[in-house]
Amino acid sequence: MIASHEIETRLREAAEGFLREKKVDIFLGYEKASFPFRTSPLFLSAAEKARRLVWNPFCTANLAVYLPRLFKAPADARAAKVAPPPPTVGVVVKGCDTRSVIALIQERQVPRDKLVLVGVACPGMMDARKAERALGSREALGAGEDAQGNLRAVVEDGTEVTLRREDVLADACLECRSPTPSIHDVLLGSPVEAKETDAARRRTAEFESKPADVRWARLQQALAKCIRCNACRQACPMCYCKDCLLDQTRPRWVGAGTDISDVTLYHLVRAFHMAGRCTECGACARACPMGIDARLLVRKLNLEVEDLFGYRPGAAVDAAPLLSAFTMDDPQEFLTEP
Amino acid sequence: MARNPYLPYPARIEEVAVENAARDIKTFRLAFADPESAAEFRYMPGQFAELSLPGLGEAPFGIASSPTEAGYLLFSVKRVGLFTGELHSLEAPAPIGIRGPMGKPFPWDRMAGKDLVIVGGGFAFTTLRAAIQYILDPANRARFGSLLVIYGARTPGELMYRKDLAEWQARDDLQVHLTVDEPDADWKQHKGVVTTVLEGLKPSSQNALAVVCGPPVMIRFALLSLGKLRFADDAIILSLEMRMKCGIGKCGRCNIGHKYVCRDGPVFTREELKALPVEY
Amino acid sequence: MIDKRIPHTDLDRLLDRLGKRGAVYAPAKDEAGEAVLAAWPQSGPAVLEYRNFRLSPKALVLPQNQTLMCFKNGDVAEPALSDRETFLFGVRPCDARAMLALDKVFLGGDQHDPYYARRRAKMAVIALACARPTSSCFCTSVGGGPGDAAGADVLALTLDADLLLGAATAKGRELLASVADLLTDAPPAAVKEAEEQIQAAENQMAPVNVDNIALRLRDAYDSPLWETASQKCLGCGTCSYLCPTCHCFDITDDVRGGTVRRVRTWDCCAYPLFTLHASGHNPRPTAKERWRQRMMHKFRYAAENFDQLFCVGCGRCIRNCPVSMDLRTVLKEVGA
Repeated sequence: MIASHEIETRLREAAEGFLREKKVDIFLGYEKASFPFRTSPLFLSAAEKARRLVWNPFCTANLAVYLPRLFKAPADARAAKVAPPPPTVGVVVKGCDTRSVIALIQERQVPRDKLVLVGVACPGMMDARKAERALGSREALGAGEDAQGNLRAVVEDGTEVTLRREDVLADACLECRSPTPSIHDVLLGSPVEAKETDAARRRTAEFESKPADVRWARLQQALAKCIRCNACRQACPMCYCKDCLLDQTRPRWVGAGTDISDVTLYHLVRAFHMAGRCTECGACARACPMGIDARLLVRKLNLEVEDLFGYRPGAAVDAAPLLSAFTMDDPQEFLTEP
Repeated sequence: MARNPYLPYPARIEEVAVENAARDIKTFRLAFADPESAAEFRYMPGQFAELSLPGLGEAPFGIASSPTEAGYLLFSVKRVGLFTGELHSLEAPAPIGIRGPMGKPFPWDRMAGKDLVIVGGGFAFTTLRAAIQYILDPANRARFGSLLVIYGARTPGELMYRKDLAEWQARDDLQVHLTVDEPDADWKQHKGVVTTVLEGLKPSSQNALAVVCGPPVMIRFALLSLGKLRFADDAIILSLEMRMKCGIGKCGRCNIGHKYVCRDGPVFTREELKALPVEY
Repeated sequence: MIDKRIPHTDLDRLLDRLGKRGAVYAPAKDEAGEAVLAAWPQSGPAVLEYRNFRLSPKALVLPQNQTLMCFKNGDVAEPALSDRETFLFGVRPCDARAMLALDKVFLGGDQHDPYYARRRAKMAVIALACARPTSSCFCTSVGGGPGDAAGADVLALTLDADLLLGAATAKGRELLASVADLLTDAPPAAVKEAEEQIQAAENQMAPVNVDNIALRLRDAYDSPLWETASQKCLGCGTCSYLCPTCHCFDITDDVRGGTVRRVRTWDCCAYPLFTLHASGHNPRPTAKERWRQRMMHKFRYAAENFDQLFCVGCGRCIRNCPVSMDLRTVLKEVGA
């Protein structure tokens, strides 16, 4: 789509302007990776380098993951005296990324007034692994989008292969309900309507319709591949705890190895810690080297949160985070009478 | 077949003594459960061992006793975490595992025939005690020149091995100078930091070696003082600490540059350290 | 060295024959269609059309999760070390070479690791030469090659309908001798074609300059490049876990009921807790120090300790990094 190219040009202009006018100290965006089907996050501080920024269907990373570390509070009063003031950070955000930023603002991890949000209405991002699998043992040397939004890859022998958009869109994008950033300082691209707004619910219902032992077996089968690399946690913008519960030794809640019971516990605990906070951006699934879709469990929990409390993570900046507040009429039929 | 280096020797706690006023440092006297283990565990002062408690794991500690103190090993342990917390709750005759000996000891071959200046601070005095006891043993004393020990802590209650310190101060084949930052009413010895005492005593660097163990800030200032006293970089010996697991140079955790503190150290000369990146 | 031949169609028979002697691992496709090194026999014939496996074979000598000993009722029990032979078929030359690096760590020094040593002693590696390197491959730049036999006992190569084979070690000679009835001599023309194929594969790889890299890294220790290089790093551990030479591990005690297992698990220098002292002091407090350590360990400290770079150019870290970091970029910047 030509729109990608236009957005890229306007993005570069915006970033260059913000940096030159010192409206931001750092600008976070994406740059070309050394590989097809990928981009790499870019930390810009020089206006003249803004032309390194790109915008294409491989801008998959959720850049909100870098924000907590840019705004880390000083360790104590003494450190606070010498600490530099927090930077102003410009960042490119898609719909899902924006909700992560909102959730971080809700949880007081980043200040709204130190962010310049360059929102991009997102038509969906492509999954590198799906594209590579579709090519089989042929390697792509270059790739781009055609006018219909399909993926056109040039493989080693020079031939062009077209992969249909719907075959390579990331799973998270296929279920996306918020493609357009709800808050922004600049919005690039015309607002995009969410397409399959009940895809997440349908997929969850489909899984839930299976008998419990089948569901458990499927879960164990997926988790058996886990090598406990923690990529899912590290890629997640909402996992910013300085000392993760799952690493603690006093007490040791979860063992360190790949024993299936430790692996299952790791993922279950993470899922529960994500309930009402995860924006289902799919960063976890993309980061996982073993191809585990860590969204399976959280998606279910988020739907429960929506049904029970009418709450969606990252929907409103001034909403209290779900598990930090209660109202007197919160549902409580799960409590039993004595 | 060579012994499995991951397997601890079985041992027992024989005695536990509280070392300091804050009661967070205890000295454990350990004895091997069988004579074969005791015979295999041959070490020199400066080396360390990993103590093992099933269910808690292992942690590395300098050996605080000299091999001349036969039949037992002393380890002084500060309570800071999971392993040390559990160890502090144990009493004789609880079982414990000992894996080692590990690391390179103090350079005894070089130390022979030299005057020795030992500078220690706070809790880091453990392997220095082993070294001093080794030197003072009648079978060894004549092999070394003069021995000057300077040991400092924040308060008198934080000095370790006070019984040994008193015995040493009563001897005439070494000099022991103790100093504290905050004396109490009964304190009659030096006040101030170790380096002030060191510079006041002005030990000669001729045919001498200095051994320094202490917290990073003390080491930094001690090195400056020793420099002023014209101790060359290869005449200053230090012992470092690092987070360790395997203790045998394989798990990749305790390196400084290409050297593993567990295997190539923990004893390094200042000259050796200068060739390494400052990542400790 | 390549001197024997077997038609592709007979490969399964060769693997079956080895299967009578011990465990066999051969390439297969998983449910997602990706190549994996899987236990043989499989539901179909061994796969020969693949680039490389996502996971390196190091898990077979250094498992992610390995019990070192068990404590129960005051006694210690060491696990029985396997006596079973293991045959790996289809390991790429880069991964075979990586085993030599691991050998230097685990078998060298004055303490050798009995768990690693036993697995390694019982293992035979039949490496499969590469005809088509990927754009992330750079084995030739780090001392290896698509037809390199270092670390392998037998080198194999696919040529038209055949598999050519040659022994690289005494163990390899014994292995080929044990299946001699399945093999014929490779005609000189085929051997020549094999050499040309390997040469062509070598020519395809874009070189990465690692001349004097250890010295260049030493001089660049305090360079500001580490700050920018590490900014994107998530500290996720994927690179180390997939890397065939990364070997850093943790030892923890796993308590279950009345039994305590002391287990070895993979660990990663990129994790913040890796060098954290109990006192709270951390010599590598930020991503910058940790990323620098990774590069230093692989390209400088390993060279200083073992005269071998701990990178075999397999490209897994580049392909699988969630934020597409590329260490070749950093290598270029060092000493630039």
